[in-house]
Formats: sequence, structure tokens, C-alpha cells
Amino acid sequence: MGFTGNIKWTAGPTWSATLRYGLAVASVAAALGLASALMHFHAPQTFGVFALCAIAVTFWYSGAKPGILAALLSSVVRDLLFDPRTSTESRLLFDLVFLVFALLMMQAVRGRNQLELKVAERTAELTRLNDDLKREIAEHNRVEADLRLSQAYLAEAQRLSHTGSWAWSPPPGDIRYWSEECYRVQGFDPKEGHPRFESLIQRMHPDDQARVVEVIERAVRKKEDFKFDYRIIHPDGEIRFAQSLGHPVLGPSGDLVEYVGTIIDVTERRQAEEERERLREAQADLAHASRMTTMGELTASLAHEVNQPITAAVNGASTCVRWLTRDEPDLAEAREAAAGAIRNAKRAADIINRIRSILKKGESKRQLADVNELIREMIALLRSETNRYSISVRAELDANLPKIMADPVQVQQVVMNLIMNSIDAMKEIDQTRELAIRSRLAEDRHLIISISDTGEGLPQQQKDKIFDAFFTTKPHGIGMGLRISRSIVESHGGRLWAAENSPHGASFFFTLPIPVETQDNAAEKRSDAHTNV
Amino acid sequence: MTCQKEGKLVAIVDDDDSVRGTLQELLRSAGFSSRTFESAEDFLGSGHQQSAACLITDIRMPGMSGLELQARLNAEHCRIPTIFITAHGDEEMRFQALRGGAVEFLPKPFDDEVLVESVRAALER
Repeated sequence: MGFTGNIKWTAGPTWSATLRYGLAVASVAAALGLASALMHFHAPQTFGVFALCAIAVTFWYSGAKPGILAALLSSVVRDLLFDPRTSTESRLLFDLVFLVFALLMMQAVRGRNQLELKVAERTAELTRLNDDLKREIAEHNRVEADLRLSQAYLAEAQRLSHTGSWAWSPPPGDIRYWSEECYRVQGFDPKEGHPRFESLIQRMHPDDQARVVEVIERAVRKKEDFKFDYRIIHPDGEIRFAQSLGHPVLGPSGDLVEYVGTIIDVTERRQAEEERERLREAQADLAHASRMTTMGELTASLAHEVNQPITAAVNGASTCVRWLTRDEPDLAEAREAAAGAIRNAKRAADIINRIRSILKKGESKRQLADVNELIREMIALLRSETNRYSISVRAELDANLPKIMADPVQVQQVVMNLIMNSIDAMKEIDQTRELAIRSRLAEDRHLIISISDTGEGLPQQQKDKIFDAFFTTKPHGIGMGLRISRSIVESHGGRLWAAENSPHGASFFFTLPIPVETQDNAAEKRSDAHTNV
Repeated sequence: MTCQKEGKLVAIVDDDDSVRGTLQELLRSAGFSSRTFESAEDFLGSGHQQSAACLITDIRMPGMSGLELQARLNAEHCRIPTIFITAHGDEEMRFQALRGGAVEFLPKPFDDEVLVESVRAALER
């Protein structure tokens, strides 16, 4: 708040005019009274002194105009009541004294007013500065409180995530900052202060020390980020896994000032990854066992499938020999027959390879796969089985289906399981036995494949259980086929579900995601097809 | 319906096109003419049961099986000498085929000499 022009003093401008001029009259009257009293007691006449006092008091407290009135009154009173017989020169002299005194008082009062003005201004300034300072202090306190809170949150976040933060001068420098979590991760006691760089290295597993030092030294030389994994041996002998990240801080001239970074305890994460890996292996083993079991059940059918091309190859070879053993060998015919034999023999080999790949045990290998081709291969492989039960097979496969990232063996296992289930559902029925396999593009960046039959349909009241492990309606079934199929589809990012057909039978649907770049190609193909039409 | 053998045509019925094709070539190399059908229904629908002098058929096929085809021809009094070729041969099936009048029951892959001689014998009937 600044100075507004109001002088705040003991009395004065806030007085009314009556009071101010009244003081002039009263002070002169008081001077008169005092002088009269002294005259009565035959004391030296001092009205002039008292008058000067009255004038001074009036100027000081009432201002210039009342002060001038007091001076005039004093002059009049002195002339009339004290020494009325003095000469004109004497009167003028006293008047001059009063005038000069009045002028001096005016200056004095003006000076006093200016001084008071300055004092008020300075006071207002100081008050304002004081208020500003109080606000700054309050703000500082608030910021400090926020900072403490933020530090507390950060410390808690570090503790929860097992992440510590640090800063050290370029090695072999000192550690400048070492958060609480760093002590915990590295197994040091905070009471002992920042550990030395050498101590950190010594705390590492002996097999990791040289590598870590080399990584750090290389990063420092090149002023680059670094990242490394290592093992820590805690004082109690426990081995923990950690990961450290570092980033260089450079000065204005490009010189290395310090490194800042983090240490993360990744022991639990590593254990979870190992557990996931063990689970994946167990699932792969189970899927393999399931494939082995199913293929074992299909031995007769598979043998028939292989036998057909072998028979054709033998026929071809026999024909070739016949053409060559004629009285006049027909080389062209013999050549043609031999070529046919080779083709059929290779076909037999392909079928065997396909069977071998299905039976192969190994980790899942994702690659770009043509799902339609996988479906066709499985239909061919199971043709003998469908023929055996007089099941007609209809394949309606979208020719524009893009390739997807998938494990071909696992996808064929799903198709095989679903086809076998359909065959089992139709074995005993009297009506038409039809198996329809369809593939198409769905709207949501997925392929959708359906396998539909005209069989017994889904088990009543147990439709929700068919994907449960060990659920089966077959007398000799294990009940893992659908469970494994669903696991395979879901591991590819898809879904597997079933629905009743009308009037009878069931359909199984599964989706598989399309990679983004393949979606663009599929969209182009559909666009071209639309344009060409 | 009665069947009359008008020529020395051999009918080949098998759902596997490579077996059909190579069998036809084999018979051609042996001097026989033949016609192929991918199913028993195709054969019956073609009307060639009247002209075929010999029938070579697979047993396990989609739709009507080879044994069912034999029974149907027998019911129609169409006694075509029939040679069965199959990858699923067992004794019971063999017995049923021979009881139905089959002249030969050959497991796949078969000896070409045996097949050719069987066809020759069938055609000379």
C-alpha cells in the first residue's frame, strides 16, 4: 500500500477548521493569561515569549493559516494590552519579530510535513516489502512442503519399483547422490554414507566385474549412455539381479560433468520370466503330446494317405518298365511314366514330412503363414478319415486372405483338433454328414476361420465346459483337445468359441490377428478387386 | 436293368486322381482301353456299367463305397468282373468282396503283373 497524501500525526489535518482556528485563539488567550498572571505578581513581562509559544503551538498543530491568525492576534493583544504607550517603531519591531517567527514556523512546519511524508512513504514501502516478504516466506514454506511431499512420493515409488537413482562424478570420482533405494538394492548401510565406486564393483558377482568396468570405461570415454545387467552378492550371501542405466551430463563446453542414472532390482522380474518360460515349455510339451495322441489315432488314415501317392508312383514305375520292355520300346511314354512316378513319390514324401512336422517337438516358431494352405493340407491329410465315415468336405476359403504371423504347426493342430471333433460328432448320425470349412477377413483386423458340421451338436447344459481341461464326451477321450486349441489361438492373439448350428450340428470359430503391414496389403488387394470389377 | 458287354472297356473308379491316372496309363501300356471315374456315383450315373467289360474300384471312397457299388451292380444283375484295390484291406473285407463276386482283391500298392493278368482274365470271360 503506497502513500496516499494523508499525513497521520498526533492532531492536525483531521481536525475541523473550528478546532484549528480555535487553537489559535486559545493559545494566544493562554499566553495572555499567563503574562497577566505574571504581571499581577510583578514578574518581568513575558507576553512576547508566551505569544511566540502560542504562535509555535498553533503553527505546529493547526497549520499555516491558524498560525498566521495566532501571530496577528498576538500582535494585536500585545499592542492593546501590553505597553500600549510604546512607540510605533517598538510596535513594528515586535510585529516584525512575530512575522519573522511566523515565517520560520511556516518553514519548520513545511519541513516537518515533508519529513512526515517521506516517513509515511518509507513506512508504506516497508509495510509493502514486509507483506511481500511474508508472502514469499509463505510461498517458500508451501514449496518446501510440496518438495518434501514430492520427495516422499518419489522415495516410495523407488521403493515399490525397486529403482534407485544416483549421480557420480566421472570415474574414478565420488558418488554425489545415492538414493535410499540404491542402498537397499546394492546391500549397503545408509549410516555408513555413500560407498566408494570400488566398493560397488566389489559387491558385484566376480564374473560380472570386468565386463561392467569395461562398459563404464567405454561409455565415459565416448560420453555415452550405458546400460548393463549384473549380479549383486549381498552381505548375507543372497544373489540379486540388477540393471543399471547411466546418462552423461555435459557442461556448456561439452566436458563431462557427471553421470546420472538408475539401478533397478530385476530379481523378481527375472524369476517371473523364467517361470513364464517354464510354463511356455510345459504348454508346448502338452500341445506336442496332444498332437502325438491325435496323430496316433489317425495312424490308419495317415497310412492310407501316404499309400495313395506310393501306389501311383509304383504304377508309374511299372508303366515305365512296360514301355521299355516292349519289342519296340517307347522312350517318350516311358519317360512320361517315370516322371509321373517321381512326382507321386515326392508327394508321398511331402505327406510324410507334413506328418513329421506335426509330430515334431520344439519351441513355437512364428513365421508368415498362409492359413488357407495350412487348412488345405490338413483337409488332405484327413481325407481318408472323412472318406471312412462318408463325410463330404466343403472348403470355402477367401482367396484374398493375407498371410499372418503364426506357428504353422500349431495352427494346423487347431484345425486338426476341430476337424476331428466334427468327424467324431458325425460318425454315428444317420443324416447327411457335411463338414464345411470357411475362412474370411473380419472387420477388426483379424482372420476368422470356421469349422461347421451336421453332427450331434454341443453337449446340452455343458456348453460352457467344453473348453475346460479334461472335459470330454468321448469314451476314450482325454479332454484336452479344445483346451489346448484355445491356448494356442489365444497365444496368437485370437479367440476360439463354439455355437450351435440349426437345425443340428455345431460350429467352431477362431480368429487370428493380421499384422499391420499385411492389413495395408489386404486393403489394397480388396480395393484393386473392387476397381477391376 | 440288364448289362451287356459291348466292348473291352475297363472302368476305373477311385477318388484319388493320381491313382486313377497312373492306373489308366498302366492299362494303356498293357494294351487296354479304360475310362476313369472319381466316385461310384459318377460311374453309375455315366451309364458305362452297360459297356464296361471289367471294373477296377477302390473300396473306401466318399459317398458309396466299392463294396456298396458291387452290391448295387449285383442287384441290377450287372455282373461286371470286379477287381478291388484298397489300402485298407483286411480279411473280412476281402472275404466280403470275394463273396460278392470279385475276381481279385489287391492291396495298394499292387503288383502290376498281377493286376494286368487279372484284367486280361476278366476280359476273356
